[in-house]
This record gives sequence, structure tokens and C-alpha cells, in this order.
Amino acid sequence: MIAQLKEHYQKSDNSILYLCVLYYIVMSFITPGFFSLGNNWNLLFNLMPLVIVSIGQTCVMLTGGIDLSITSTIALSSVVGASFMSSDSGLGFNPSVSTFIGIGVMLVVGAAIGLVNGVAVTKLGMPAFMVTLTTMMFFSGFAVWLTESQNIYNLPDSFLRISSMSMRDVPIPVVAALGVMLIAYFILNTTVIGEWIYAVGLNVKVARISGVNVDGTIISCYVFCGVCAALGAVLYTSRLETGSPIMGQNILLDVIGAVVIGGTSLFGGKGKVKWTLFGVLFISLLDNGLNLIGLSYFLIMIVKGLVILFAAILNVLKERPSLAS
Amino acid sequence: MKVIQARSIRKVLDHSTLILFAAIVITFGFLSSQFFTFQNLSNILIQSSSLAIIATGMTFVLLTAGIDLSVGSTMFLAGVVSAKMVAWGSPLWLACVTVLLVGTLYGLVNAFFIYRFKIIPFIVTLATFYVGRGFGLFLSETRAMNLPEGFLKIGSVSILGIPFPVLVLGVVILSAHLALSKTQFGRQIYAVGNNAEKARKAGMPVDRILLSVYLICGFCAALGGLVAIAQLGAVSPTFGKQSEFMAIAAAILGGTSLFGGKGNVFPGTLIGAVTIQSIQNGLVIVNANPYLYPLITGAVIFLIVLIDSLRHMQEVKSRRLGASF
Repeated sequence: MIAQLKEHYQKSDNSILYLCVLYYIVMSFITPGFFSLGNNWNLLFNLMPLVIVSIGQTCVMLTGGIDLSITSTIALSSVVGASFMSSDSGLGFNPSVSTFIGIGVMLVVGAAIGLVNGVAVTKLGMPAFMVTLTTMMFFSGFAVWLTESQNIYNLPDSFLRISSMSMRDVPIPVVAALGVMLIAYFILNTTVIGEWIYAVGLNVKVARISGVNVDGTIISCYVFCGVCAALGAVLYTSRLETGSPIMGQNILLDVIGAVVIGGTSLFGGKGKVKWTLFGVLFISLLDNGLNLIGLSYFLIMIVKGLVILFAAILNVLKERPSLAS
Repeated sequence: MKVIQARSIRKVLDHSTLILFAAIVITFGFLSSQFFTFQNLSNILIQSSSLAIIATGMTFVLLTAGIDLSVGSTMFLAGVVSAKMVAWGSPLWLACVTVLLVGTLYGLVNAFFIYRFKIIPFIVTLATFYVGRGFGLFLSETRAMNLPEGFLKIGSVSILGIPFPVLVLGVVILSAHLALSKTQFGRQIYAVGNNAEKARKAGMPVDRILLSVYLICGFCAALGGLVAIAQLGAVSPTFGKQSEFMAIAAAILGGTSLFGGKGNVFPGTLIGAVTIQSIQNGLVIVNANPYLYPLITGAVIFLIVLIDSLRHMQEVKSRRLGASF
């Protein structure tokens, strides 16, 4: 029985999910309030924007790149979108129109930053790490400069309702996350672009020789990542009811950690939407559980670090059991 | 004609970091008469000593195609441990030695996971980034800590007319430069960075080399942290945040490749660090809006990386040109 389980564990790519389930069950027993309706909702709402942002990051990583600028994308689209919508700005649209405009503007900001990153990586041949590092500095500085580090309040009700509204009993954030996952799954598994993304990640030279539009593929991944980050910003902004220039500041390492824990390779060409979902689930569960136990912020940081390390070791041992001895 | 033109473009690109550095210095010199005073120039050197020391350690890691995201946390830990020890009444020298040991140990932990379990450096140091900062916050109880006068004295003392931080910087740069360019160990670092598999087949102790570069990086991070707090006189909970990115940026500006095997400490990394510090210093002197600092710093680093990649593309092109003749 145990041997069978072990064999199944070593063959399947759901090991992170099993870890999550195990963690969930253990925490439900030992932590009061973990297995409550309220906490499960809480967990779900924290999970959704993180899933959306991480899916975008997955696509970039599949091409062998990395996008460090997602946090500044979230911050900038939050403040730009909020200043379009806020009744303080005095643009004077009626609330539902300004909600539409605001969301549109936010997504455009995300796409624009993604475009800058993608063009710099492909057409100018700059390393992704450095490009997105500098765009992170630049655009987060830009968001702070625009607002002079003030928050933007008085957003229209129709926008604030996004995080609480339901579509046929399914909350909008869940709908959005499911939508993004389905789109990413569909693109990666059934379209030519999906094949190109994996091909570029595996070997750029071979892909180029085989006639793949390498530059176009990479640019569209960065744009997709930017749009995903902006969508995350929509959910965060609506939930916090403010546009903030430091929004999302702390999630960068969570997102990258989640994607990599899920099993997506930092070198590109290997990764799945499903894996990223598991990775995000894992990080969110961990955060939530440790918070409920009442660990302080810094102890949570320590545990999170150790767990990332632990998950990475498990991952390696699964692929290369010879290292265990 | 075309060849001559290409050659002159290449010459400009080859010395791009120096030219840019000169351009920045001259621009600020025009904008403010205070910039070019001896006092200010030596200030820049003193202020950049901490960053340059950390970036020197980072250069070793980058040369092996690794990365160390944990240096900011190591710096912070160094500051906290030394402040605690001095507060408990230990002599200054003992605190300094302990801190350097802590930094080296931190490098050892990174190296252990990287070479024992073959986890990619990015993930290992991401995890130790969390653990280190969390542990530092735990020790300091997330409070800012003031250091005794003795520490500030180290920061401001001069030996033979040379400020102490600059002296430390000089020793670090000189020994790193000699180690990289004159010893077998240095040549092996480049070899591992160029192709770890080939280096292994050539009989080099690849694991030991990887181990030692992370030790060096941890040591340099702790030393850089000490030099920084000797100037600041206090350790805030955000001390060292984003230092890892600044150190990487300084090394890359100095021509070190993120992909390993290419780069040097002197003059490369030193100029990179001083360039970054000159921008910061110049912006303060010309009384720029503080909100603009990250915008300008980000844009300048972007420009430098862009030039570096243009140089790389030019090299590839001229190699192709040469082949066709």
C-alpha cells in the first residue's frame, strides 16, 4: 500500500497538491478557526489575484525570461486607474462609465509595461532580469511620483463591488481567475502560439531556425504577463477600496516562489498552468495558516523561506533520487 | 569604410561604461559647481564603498553563472548582530569578527544547498533571503537600533589621509582583483562560469569553487553591511533592502555577464558601483525632487544595460562579418 502510494507520488506531478491537502488537513485539526467558512472565503479571495498574476509570470518563465516588474505594474495601474475613477479627480463621468474606463486604463497600463519589457528583451537583446529590474524601479518610482505617495480614495461603488459581487453565485474574482487559467491553458495546450512558447523556452536558436516567430512570441508573453498583473491590480484595488502606489510591493517573491515551487523551470520550456495553481495554493495556505497560528510577521518570513527550500529539495529529490544518499 | 565605421562603433561601445560614467559626472558638474569639489568626489567614493564591496562579492557569484539574492538580508543580519553584541557589552572588534563569521556562514548555507542538492541558486538564495530578513527582524524586534559612538568613529576615521571605508574598499578590490586575475583559483572561476560541465571533465573541483564563491559573497555582504552602518550609525528594519539588486546592477554595469564567465572586479565592478552612487549623489546636490531619484536611476541603468547588449550584438555581427570574408 505504502509502496504503491510512494510510486504514485514519484510518478505524478501533483506532489505539491498532495502537500497542500496534507497541510490543510493538519492545520484544520490543530488551528482553531482555520476550517471555518470565513477563513475559507478569506483564503479564496487572497488566492485569486495571486493566481492571476502568477499565471502571467508562468508564461514569461516558459520562454526562459522573468518579469520582476509585476509589482510596479500592479502599483502603477492601481494609481492610474484609480485616479481616472475617483470622484476626487473631477473627470465627472457617471460611475458605471468611469468603472469601465478605469478598468480599461488599468489593463492598458499593464499591457504597455509588458510591451516595453518584451521589446527591450527581444528587439534590443537585453537580459530579461536586468530589463524588468530597471522597469520595476522606474515604474514604481513613477507611481510614487504621480501620487506623491498619497493613496487615492473615493472610487465608484460599481468598481468596489467587483470584489464582492457574484455571477451566478460564483464571486467575480473566482470567475476572473478561472477565466485567466482557462485562457492560458487553452493557449499553451491547443494553439500554435503555445507550441512556440515552449519551443522558444527549450531552445531559442532551434526555434528560430524552425521558423518560429521568436520575437513576437516573447513579446506577447510579456504583454500577457503585464495584463495579468493589471487584472490582479483591479482585484486588489477594488478590495482595498484605494489606489495605492505601494500596492503589491510584497508579492513579487511570493509569485516567483509559487511558480517555481509548482515546478516551472527558470530556464524555460517546462511548466504548466496546473503546477502554478498548486504553487500559489501552497504559498497562500502557508501564509494563511501561519497567520492564524498567531506567528509574527518575521517568523512567517523565516518559515516561508524554509518551506520554499524544503519544496525545492523535494522537487529535486523526485527528479534525481540518487542525490538523497 | 563600413569596416572602419563598425570598428569605431565598437570602440565606443567597448568603453561604454566609462563614457557613460564620464557623461554623468560632467552633466552633474555643469548643473552644480559643488559636484566637482574634491570634498564631494571623495564623499562619493566613501558613500559607494559599501555597495562596491558587496558588488565585489556578487561579481564572484555572477562569474560562476550563479546569483545571490540574499546579500541584502546578510547585510541586515550583520547590522543587527553587531548592534546587539555591542549593546550587550562586547568589545567592538569581537562584534565585527562575529559579524564577518555570520556572513561567511550564511554563504556556507547557500553553498551547501546549491551544491549538495543541486537546487538552482536563485531559489536557494530566495529562501535564505526570507529567512535572513525574518531572523534579523526577530532579533531586532522590528525596531531601529542605534549604534554606539565607537562605530561612527570607524566610519569617519582616516588613516594616512585615506578615509577608513575607502581603505577597506581598496583592500577588498585589490585582493579580489589579484585573486581573479593572477591565481589558479581565479582562472578556475572563469572556467566554471563558461562551462561547468567542461570544467568538471577537465578535473577542476567545481563543487569547491562554487562553495568558495558563495562564502566570499557572504563575507563581502557582511563587510559591506559593517561599512554601511559605520557611516549611518543606526540599523533600521529596512536596512539593506534591495541591496541585492543594486549590487547586481553595479556588477552588470561593470561588464559582468549574468550568464557567467565574463567580467572583472577592477575596473568593472568598482566603476559600476561608483556610477550608481554618483547618480544618487548628483541628484541630491542639484536638489532634484526626491520622487525622481528612482526614475532617473532606473532609466540610467536601463540605458547602460542597453549599451551593453548593443555591444554584444555588434560583436556577434562583426564575427559573422569576419566569417563571410
